[in-house]
Amino acid sequence: MRAAGSGLTERGLVLGRLIGRALPGRRLAGRALVVLVGAFLFGAAIVAAARAAQEDPFPHEGHAGLFPVCAGCHAGVASGDSVTAYPSPDLCARCHDGVQEEEVEWRAPVRPPSNVTFDHSEHALSLAETGDPVQSCESCHSDSSGGRMNVDATEELGTCWSCHAHETPGHFDLGSRCESCHVPLAESRFDRDRIAALPHPATHDDPRFLAEEHGREVPGYADRCATCHTAERCLTCHVDGTLIEIAALPRAPSGMELPETTAEYPAPASHEDEGWLDAHRLQVPVRECSTCHTQDDCRSCHVGIVPTFVEALPRASESLAPGAQLVTRAPESHESSFFLDAHSVLASADGQSCATCHVESYCVDCHDGPPDGGYHPASFVARHAADAFGRTDECATCHSTEVFCRACHLESGFGARGRLGSGYHDAEPVWLLRHGQAARQNLETCASCHAQRDCVQCHGVLGSFSVSPHSRDFDAAAAWAQSPRTCLACHVSNPIGEAP
Amino acid sequence: MSASRGGGPRFAGFLVICLVGAALEPFAAGRADLAAQSVRGWVGSTLQMVELRPVAMLAAGCLPDQPCYDALSEERSFSATQDLSLTAWGFGLEGVSATVLLRGRARLGSDLVWPRTDDRFDAILAYGQLVRDRFTVRAGRQEIRSGLGFSSFDGASVAWYGGTAQFRAEAYGGRSLARGLREPDREALRAVEDFVPDKEVLVWGGSARARLRGLSITTRYQREILSDRSGLASERGALDLSLATPTGRLIGAIDYDFARGTAGKGRLGWSMPLADGQWLVEATASRYVPYFSLSTIWGFFEPVAYHEIEGRVGWSPSATLAVTFGGGWRKYGDTGTATVFRPLTGHGERARLGARWDVVSRVTVDAGYDLEWGPGGFLSAADVSARTALNERLSVTATATTFQQIEQYRLGDGRGLGGGLSFDAELTDRILTSGGASLLRHTGGQTTVQDSPWNQSRAWWSLRVLVGEDPGLANRRRR
Repeated sequence: MRAAGSGLTERGLVLGRLIGRALPGRRLAGRALVVLVGAFLFGAAIVAAARAAQEDPFPHEGHAGLFPVCAGCHAGVASGDSVTAYPSPDLCARCHDGVQEEEVEWRAPVRPPSNVTFDHSEHALSLAETGDPVQSCESCHSDSSGGRMNVDATEELGTCWSCHAHETPGHFDLGSRCESCHVPLAESRFDRDRIAALPHPATHDDPRFLAEEHGREVPGYADRCATCHTAERCLTCHVDGTLIEIAALPRAPSGMELPETTAEYPAPASHEDEGWLDAHRLQVPVRECSTCHTQDDCRSCHVGIVPTFVEALPRASESLAPGAQLVTRAPESHESSFFLDAHSVLASADGQSCATCHVESYCVDCHDGPPDGGYHPASFVARHAADAFGRTDECATCHSTEVFCRACHLESGFGARGRLGSGYHDAEPVWLLRHGQAARQNLETCASCHAQRDCVQCHGVLGSFSVSPHSRDFDAAAAWAQSPRTCLACHVSNPIGEAP
Repeated sequence: MSASRGGGPRFAGFLVICLVGAALEPFAAGRADLAAQSVRGWVGSTLQMVELRPVAMLAAGCLPDQPCYDALSEERSFSATQDLSLTAWGFGLEGVSATVLLRGRARLGSDLVWPRTDDRFDAILAYGQLVRDRFTVRAGRQEIRSGLGFSSFDGASVAWYGGTAQFRAEAYGGRSLARGLREPDREALRAVEDFVPDKEVLVWGGSARARLRGLSITTRYQREILSDRSGLASERGALDLSLATPTGRLIGAIDYDFARGTAGKGRLGWSMPLADGQWLVEATASRYVPYFSLSTIWGFFEPVAYHEIEGRVGWSPSATLAVTFGGGWRKYGDTGTATVFRPLTGHGERARLGARWDVVSRVTVDAGYDLEWGPGGFLSAADVSARTALNERLSVTATATTFQQIEQYRLGDGRGLGGGLSFDAELTDRILTSGGASLLRHTGGQTTVQDSPWNQSRAWWSLRVLVGEDPGLANRRRR
């Protein structure tokens, strides 16, 4: 021990006695050595950490003679007792009382937040087992240019690696077991800026890492992820917080401020496949959908019955993440102004596509809709004759010609009530002689005013003229075989057997 | 269907729908969490008023170049429609659901019987369904939407899906319902026909679909027979395809009447966007021939088909303007009839010019002009509408129309001028309403009808309340 002065020497003796009482006795010299060295190591680490966070005002070098061993002031280091890891300020006041020495104001430094799992007591025990005399406080905590009390407060990876070899070439390599040396971020007490400044592996810069790969890595490396992330980082994007991979990461403790992060939803390669939309249900497990999609996404397209497995997905209102937020958009075919004309063919060719976005009642809205002026223009009733005759739209798609049309025509005074005359047909006296061509050209129009019996009056075998409505190519035998009842509407018996 | 006027309305079916609907509407409006109970749908009420002037033949009968009809005094039709559309699932078995679309109708003191308003109750859809990854089974009242038309049946259907949904096969069968109606033929026709089939019609059929890359192709076969197997009502097949290519889309459809041994309707169209979608060129060849069930005599009268070629061009120089122009020419088949006097024309032409312009951010103008002539008449009509969105939830539309119509060998030519106002509003996210009124003033061009017979007034109002989770497109009004 080197004395800096007589006063100090005396105080050093007093302190030495105090330390002597604090020691467990003289039973085992080896144990004392372990504790001593361990305590020294811990004390040095504490001091080093304090320097990193704030300038340590304590002049170790100047007190070297007064405090011969580290454990004299840092007795709690080896035992893990934070109270005695630093001396009390009262201890300073014993000398710095304003008489012997000027008064000083010293407080034990606050250890800055760290996510390193270094434990001095474990090292002390390890040292006791190995008996390595090289291990001492100074072996880690000393300034190479100074003496023993010239404490280096920095924590450098090299200090650890001088003994602990990394299992992978790079610090961030996938095989690294981060949890060996680091506590999870949730236990680090890092502030927002410190968290934001955490370095990240180069793999994270690959776009595929976010879209696909990290999901495959998490199951085997959750502890590794937890070094820099809390579950909240996952929940920034993942809509399903119940995934076991996410649950494996600790949540940030109350009061921990996390850097703001933005949800990103890069489309996986599978979504680019042709036919993905057609068969996505069969191509991936539903649980994979819950990475980005909520029930609401499914329902934005599947407006019909939503399968039960969709209900296994979270709702948007239940999720912290915004989700991919799919928006229903009409297919390109719908944007054509000709779509209405063509939609029947498209629906017939591939009705299942329609059913993705439209429930059946949507079709009924037009094809048998309530009379709310929806489909036809307002003046349609007055001018529908030309449309009906030219068949721009096929009326029978929605209306029963015989029932719907004729009922209205009867109400309006235009429907035939069994009387055949020329009145409606331009008051043309010879209309009956001309009507055959019109009838063949558009029989639906005839049926919208006339009942079958109107025609049978003349065309039936018992009618006024017995005019055959059939063409020369009419296959009477086939007609009789197919629907004899209909034949009998005009014929009194099997027409095949009738006399010509 | 009853054609009688002034009969006391039978409200039974209508009341059922109204009561259920009325009970659900406030509940649905206030309880968004119905979705959690796996129920989705809507409840809709519609009121309509139509005022027009029926015509009646003059006592003196018809003389050449003289009026033979007179326009009667104005009569009105007031009607109410109540819809209830619900789909429910989550009955404890995955994939099981039930769907109903029920409609009640009532005449409200009408002079006129507006079509179908005396049909008090319709179950438009009512089926249960089981969906699995590879198949779907459905039983109840359901619809067939195919190349053979849009119709319904009461029965069962099974669909199977193969591959990654590229293949689909379906089989179905049951009691056939008349097209455009949800009733068996014999019941539907009884109100307007003396001669109706005395047996119900049974339907069965199947379809197969393949979807490979851009090609979707579906074939269908369907047969309808009388329930006692004493006759055939129809036997038809259809082929529909859609092919999307990098340069455009091809659609094709044809149906065939096996009973008559003739081709039915057909369509072959090619649409091609050009100049990054600024232009859309479409050419279509089509064929139309009416289809009649063999249960009626109409099919045995052998209507002929017309064939038509159409060309259309769409031009959209910006996101706010789209102009379309198209025209078609059609020719009817040989009717084989001997027309002594003035044979009717056997071809027709039509053209249309349309434009849509978003004048400013919330104002859209639609305009169109139609010209058509051929057998049956001549039509020259122009329509224009302006829609403005007053805010996110309310829009108002004004329309104007004018037309000239000359009907060949039929009563009812003249000129019309009309206009109207309508609105669409979303009162809340779950309550939609729309309404409007229109007037049409008509002047006769010929002398077959005294006075002006076609003056019409029309007004409507509808309310639709969404039940359960908003299914997005499903229940939005068409704009």
